[in-house]
Formats: sequence, structure tokens, C-alpha cells
Amino acid sequence: MTDQEPGRVDRVVMRDIRKRYGMVDALRGVTLRVGPGEVVGLVGDNAAGKSTLMKVLAGAVVPDSGEIVFDGRPVAFANPKDARELGIEMVYQDLALCDDIDVAGNLFLGREPRKAGGLMLDVRKMHADARRHLDALNIRIPLTDIPVGGLSGGQRQAVAIARAVTFGPKLLILDEPTAALAVAEVETVLELIKTVSAQGVSVILITHRLQDLFRVCDRLCVMYEGTLRADLDARNTSLERLVSEIVAHDEGEKEGSRR
Amino acid sequence: MTATGTGTSQRVVTTRSARANAHIGRHAQTIAIAVVLVALLIFFAFSADRFATTGNLLNLLRQIAPTLIVATAMTFVISTAGIDLSVGSTVALSGSLLAIVLQHGWSPTVALIAILALGALIGFVNGWFSSYQNIPPFIVTLAMLSIMRGTALRATEGYSTPISGDLWIVQIGQGRIAGVPVPAILAVVVALVGWLVLTRTPFGRYVIGLGSNGESLRRTGVNTRKVGLTVYMLTGVAAAVAGVLIATRLSSGSSNAGSGFELEVITAVVLGGTSLFGGRASMLGTILGALTLGVIANGLVLLHVSPFYVQIVQGAILLLAIFANSKVWAKFGAIRK
Ligand SMILES: Nc1ncnc2c1ncn2[C@@H]1O[C@H](COP(=O)(O)OP(=O)(O)OP(=O)(O)O)[C@@H](O)[C@H]1O
Ligand SMILES: [Mg+2]
Repeated sequence: MTDQEPGRVDRVVMRDIRKRYGMVDALRGVTLRVGPGEVVGLVGDNAAGKSTLMKVLAGAVVPDSGEIVFDGRPVAFANPKDARELGIEMVYQDLALCDDIDVAGNLFLGREPRKAGGLMLDVRKMHADARRHLDALNIRIPLTDIPVGGLSGGQRQAVAIARAVTFGPKLLILDEPTAALAVAEVETVLELIKTVSAQGVSVILITHRLQDLFRVCDRLCVMYEGTLRADLDARNTSLERLVSEIVAHDEGEKEGSRR
Repeated sequence: MTATGTGTSQRVVTTRSARANAHIGRHAQTIAIAVVLVALLIFFAFSADRFATTGNLLNLLRQIAPTLIVATAMTFVISTAGIDLSVGSTVALSGSLLAIVLQHGWSPTVALIAILALGALIGFVNGWFSSYQNIPPFIVTLAMLSIMRGTALRATEGYSTPISGDLWIVQIGQGRIAGVPVPAILAVVVALVGWLVLTRTPFGRYVIGLGSNGESLRRTGVNTRKVGLTVYMLTGVAAAVAGVLIATRLSSGSSNAGSGFELEVITAVVLGGTSLFGGRASMLGTILGALTLGVIANGLVLLHVSPFYVQIVQGAILLLAIFANSKVWAKFGAIRK
């Protein structure tokens, strides 16, 4: 959670990202920058385009135009695999897990431990590793062999978070990670964000719990109707200022304002 | 964030029951079909004299071999929430073409490879339209059902083509190894491999994931379209194998073979507890389902019941199985759908 030193290359820069869904202009030229180890809070009204922007960054949505530079290199993601290989992990707001697959299976989905020359799943190792990873993250799920469809909403979300942080990401995107969590679990996630960012992992956090943002974020980016409306320093921004940016009051005097 | 004191023991209790629930829920229908199968075996053993003889039971295994082989592949397709209605027509086309090319003097080995490749191609077309173009597989494979049956009829002009008993290839349908019919051995091997692939390989995982939540699977970086395409190629090849089995057993290729076969295969799969909505599969259930259908057909014939009733019974079983699958067993399951 230190200031970005000058001269250090940005972890990721998204430039002029645009995405249309039929008649809906979800993103109309968004530019976003995140430094190494930096925690950026991404806020905005419902349907402002936060999730879409992050899906672009995670490779789940291919933008119509715009460029992404990761660790100084221009990149283009055709699918989530490309982004995952570079170390970009995302906890999605929706459709995160496969209900019929068990906890360990979901945790390792897409990169299962294998044996017999890569042909077979190493199920035993999968469960043992899952146990270790969940314990290391203080996630309270006693069984790794029950389908996640049978877990509570918060437990499912914890599994999704564990999946994203377990494999040493360079950039962690959390889209409403605390929406289904109990108070203690929210604290754990906030601690987790501090821990990983101290290790140099960049974090983008989307949440409507504004008070949380001030506890972990270095910068706050406000989106409004598919554009980036404001880029604020978290330490000298008040909650009132942030709220007014989100709901688009006194548009005239704000820098970065669209109209 | 660790549970302490009474919280722990309570939690352990609830998770134990959650695990038991989840497992019983998953296997309830497989257990039920096993019970039904045993009951049927006992019933026919007492009511039909010749039923419980080794000869008849081996014959039964040979009869259900094509169904079991295609049902194994169909379990993969249905697990992805797909369906393949074209397997019966593929059976007819592959059997007919096999007989025709053999009559034209092709070597049986070349003919066999060509027919299997044809099955893969049919599966590729099914998979390309359903998986890469997102057209509902029900429609794609229904269209292919019509195209393949029409092609078979056109190729044979409606006549059946004999296959010479001198060729080694007829051994596939008629041969025995240590007294056991070759089709039965083949079917058991295919089912075992299918079970292994479904439960123990990454591909099997992705098949379940695709049916459970395809977008979630895609976001983990898995090429879901390729998985979707592959399962249709499996049913295509399996149907071609079934076509070869049936044609070589009868020593003739007929464009009328395999009519209603898709229904029988789908019934076997659904009867075994695999969900038509995807995500839930039981290869053991599919094997038991196919056996159950075979036992019913075989037993009814031995009891001198009109063969026309077999179809009626099969249709009724399919309806009942789907009803049980979606309404009754869902109550046991911990799975939300
Ligand atoms: N797959 C899609 N197809 C069509 N429209 C979409 C799709 N995804 C997003 N949109 C549209 O894009 C706009 C931005 O949606 P997005 O989910 O990014 O908003 P958000 O800022 O994440 O909102 P929330 O705070 O409610 O999560 C919305 O108007 C939405 O309807
Ligand atoms: Mg969102």
C-alpha cells in the first residue's frame, strides 16, 4: 500500500476501451491504470460498466476497440486463458462456480493436478491441496468433496475468492467479493487484500460498500455510464465527495467529468 | 476465523449430513435402477424358463451391446446438457455403407476405418453447429437424423445389402472369445473406458462443468467449444461402431436398421440418473439402464409378449424415468438446479 514510485512500470494500463452490446454502449472509451501492489477501488452506479470493464481485463469479454498494456507489453486477450496465463485472476460477480462439481474441483477447474502423463486427474492431490489452500486463507469449509451447489452463498463466494488468489496472481480483480459474506468473512477478505498487495499483487476491488474502500484502497476510480468519471486519491477524498461523484451531482466543477 | 467449541461439533454434524445428503442425492437414482434391475432379473428368472440360462444371458449382453456403446457416448453428450438424436440414422448409414463398400471389394480393414471416420465426421458436423454456432443440438441432430436416414435409403435404394460370411469382419458381430460374444466384450470395454474418462480425467470434468455452468467453465480458461464438439464426435463414432456391430451380426447392411435406436439409448442414459439438464452424470447408471432395457425386451419376448409392446413399454419407461429424474430424485439431492 505504498505510493507508486516514479519510473516503475505500471502493472496494467487500459486505454480507450470500448464495448457495445447492441443498443447499449456499455463502455465508451475507458482508460484505467493500476500500479504494482496498488489497490484500486472501482465504483459507480449500477450498470455503469464496471463488471464489463473488468471482464475485458480478464479476457472474458473481447472489447470492440482499445488497448491493454500489461507489465509494459501490449496484450490482446482472445479468451480468459490468455489473461490467466499472464497472472490476471478475477472473482466474477455472477456465474462463478459449477454447482455440480465439488469444492476441490472448482478450486482447480482448468488447471487440475494430473498424473499418468497428464491423462488422469490426481484427485487425491487435488483434495489435499484444496484443504491446504483453504486453511491458509482461513476459509471455513470442512469438506472439499461436496458439490458447491450444496454450500451457502458465502461459502461459495469464499471458494471463488480462494480460486483467484491461490495461484499467485499478479493482478487480482474482485467484483463484489463481499456481497454474500458475513461480517467476519468481510474482514478476512479485506485483510487478504492488504496482505497480497503488500506482496506486490495489484488489486482492483469493485464494491458498493464504500466504507470498505477507504480501508484498503490507494486510489478510487469512479465510473459513470460507461466512462471513467474521476480518479481520486483514497487518502484525501471524503466519503461525501465519493458519493457525489458516483451519483453525479455538481457535474460542472469535477475534473474528468464527461458533460 | 476458526470454528470453536460447540460451533465446531455442530458444524461437523451438519457437514457430515450434508456430505451424506449430497452423495445419496447423487446416487439415489442409480441405486433405484439397480434395485429395479435385480427385481426384473428375479421376476423373469421365475416366470420365463429359459431366461436364467448362461446362453440367454450372453445373448442378452450381445443384444444390448450397440445400445450400451452408444449410451456410453450419449452420457457425455447429455452431461453437457446436449442431446444427439442422429445416432439411429448413423447406425443405418454406417451399416449400409459398410455392406456396400465390402460388396465393391474394399478390404474389411479399410472399410472399417472409413466407416469410423464417417461417424466422426457426422459427429463433427453435429458438434460444429451446436457447439461453435450455438444452434440447439436438438434441432441440429434432428436435421442430421433426417439427412443420414435419407442418405442411407438413397445409397441402398431401400434394399438390404448382404455381407459375405467369409470376411473376417463378420466376427465383430458374430464371433466369440472364450464363449463370450465379441460385441458384449467390446461393450463392456467401452463402458469401462467411458466411466474412467468421465470420472477420472480432466476432459470428464470439463464435460460435467460444461453442463453445470458453461460460462463459469469458459472463464477458467477451458476451451468449452472444443469440449462440446468432442462429445458429439464420441456419439458419432460410437454410433458407427454400433452400425458395424449390427450389420456384421446380421450379415447385412440395411437402411432400416436403428430406427428408434436414439430413443432406446436416451432412455438408458436417463434411466441411469444422468440429468437431461446437464451437470449430473452416472456412467454406472447408464450401464444399469441399458441392462434394464435389455432385460425387459429379452424377458418379454421369452414370455411370448408381442414385440410391439416392447416399444410401448420403452416409451413409458422413458417418460417415467424423466419424471423421476426431475421430480422425485430432486428431493433427495442437495443439488440446486
Ligand atoms: N452480455 C451482455 N449483453 C448485453 N448487455 C450487457 C451485457 N453485459 C453487460 N451489459 C450491459 O452493459 C451495461 C454495463 O453493465 P455492467 O454489468 O458492466 O455494470 P456494473 O457497473 O457492473 O453494474 P452493477 O453495479 O450492477 O454490477 C449494462 O447496461 C448492461 O445491461
Ligand atoms: Mg457488476
